[in-house]
Amino acid sequence: MIRPLAGMARVGMRFQFAYRSDVIMSVVALVAQVFLLRMVWTSLYSGRESDPRGLTLEALLAYLSLANLQAFVTTPIIPMIAHFRIRTGTVFFDLSRPTGYLPQMAAFQAGHTAGGLLMLAPAIPVVLLVGTITPTEHPIGYAATLALGYVISVMMSLLICVIGFWTLETGAISLLYRLVSHFFAGTMVPLSFFPGALGVLADALPFKYMGYVPAAVYVGQLSGGQIGRAVAVEIGWIAALAGVLWAIWRRAHHKVVIQGG
Amino acid sequence: MAEVVRALRLYWRLQRAAMRGALQYRLNLVIGIAAGVAYQGSGFAFVWVVMHTFPAVGGWSLREIAFLYGMRLTAHALYVLPFSSLIGLDWLVREGELDRVLLRPLNPLVQIMAKRLGVGQLGDLLAGLVLLVVALPPLGPASILFCLAAVVGGALVEAAVSLALASLALRTWNTLGVRAFADDLFSKFGSYPMSVFGGAAQWALTFVLPVAFVAYVPASVLLDRTGELNVPAPVAYGSPLLGVALFALAYRIWSRQLRHYQSTGT
Repeated sequence: MIRPLAGMARVGMRFQFAYRSDVIMSVVALVAQVFLLRMVWTSLYSGRESDPRGLTLEALLAYLSLANLQAFVTTPIIPMIAHFRIRTGTVFFDLSRPTGYLPQMAAFQAGHTAGGLLMLAPAIPVVLLVGTITPTEHPIGYAATLALGYVISVMMSLLICVIGFWTLETGAISLLYRLVSHFFAGTMVPLSFFPGALGVLADALPFKYMGYVPAAVYVGQLSGGQIGRAVAVEIGWIAALAGVLWAIWRRAHHKVVIQGG
Repeated sequence: MAEVVRALRLYWRLQRAAMRGALQYRLNLVIGIAAGVAYQGSGFAFVWVVMHTFPAVGGWSLREIAFLYGMRLTAHALYVLPFSSLIGLDWLVREGELDRVLLRPLNPLVQIMAKRLGVGQLGDLLAGLVLLVVALPPLGPASILFCLAAVVGGALVEAAVSLALASLALRTWNTLGVRAFADDLFSKFGSYPMSVFGGAAQWALTFVLPVAFVAYVPASVLLDRTGELNVPAPVAYGSPLLGVALFALAYRIWSRQLRHYQSTGT
């Protein structure tokens, strides 16, 4: 069980390395995004004496750099892979392997993320420096919320892969998912700035665990009991998503259409 | 002239065929348009959310930013609707498909443009027009004309940059990353008052990559803010013409590079 999955993870990692020029361009785009946010937020803060929502500009800029870095690293590749393989019919080979389809995809994603981290590693000190990110007071809370948030992110993207068995065409859905998840993860605005109903919605959705929650723990906006509660809710989400995935998968693999020729 | 009319007529026919193709996947079409609206809307949602707490960005009110955003987005949609197939040029060159295009008796650029209909881009147009109409300041007839010209001019600025960069694909074969990045800069930075980004970045976004001329400069004219610009007011008033000039230049580059095209032989 473990060996084939490790093999799948290796494939994911090689896939990441094979497209390294794309990775370099997307790192450049990430830097541009962080620069844009810094300039806009600095301009917004200028001329204000008090710190809105109790967040200083320095903490906010650190938060934004971190949240974007996290979102960049955790953005899943598997919906794209599944989309392509369902469309061309090659998903047949994935399904015919004795290891389950969902574990294969999850392993591929894990390998892909690990590869991305390895490639990003030289850039991380630069980002931390440019983003004025100082060491956190809650390293364990940060690591825990981020790791669980990553698991939630992978499970949500598995859900999108499975939807592809019905719709056959998931290009638009996965784009939509990426946009919605990044927005509600708080990569541009911390969730504490979301007004009224939007704030309630963002708080209820699981996307915040991929960006806002870990980053807010890092900069100290969330602390103590709030961290413990966040971890508990994350575990709840993982359990619920596991149930949903299991139920949907049971139906999905009866729906499989192999397109080919 | 007859050549141009014929090309346009054939373009329209091919585009209709592409539209019929897109209509075969109806659910994907609807979701594609929704994704287009969401993609552009999420950028504006950011502005809208922060401006609940902060009254102004770089001295511009929410309504002014919305107007700038609408102009930029409408211009972007007008560029991308006909030009979305250009994105696949690298692939056309690599697979040798371009040879086929060159053999047919119709302008190669028109053929490439007619290859596919950008579904999500209809969403861009929808979102752009809504923002533009909702946030339109009270304008006289002359200003309305300037606004229309500016949107077309803005579309041509973006089209020019995109075409010039795409021409490189005819020679160097891998341009997708650079083009996607340029597109990204237009989309991300084009919708803010450039003064926010500080001198050097503002200069680069005006004179190196003409992002400012897509919407920020003409919007400043319409909102009576030419004093803030880093170009003289007469230049700002002439900004719609810049698009025409840049596109003519880009088309020359394209034709020149096309003459040097060597098939990959695959």
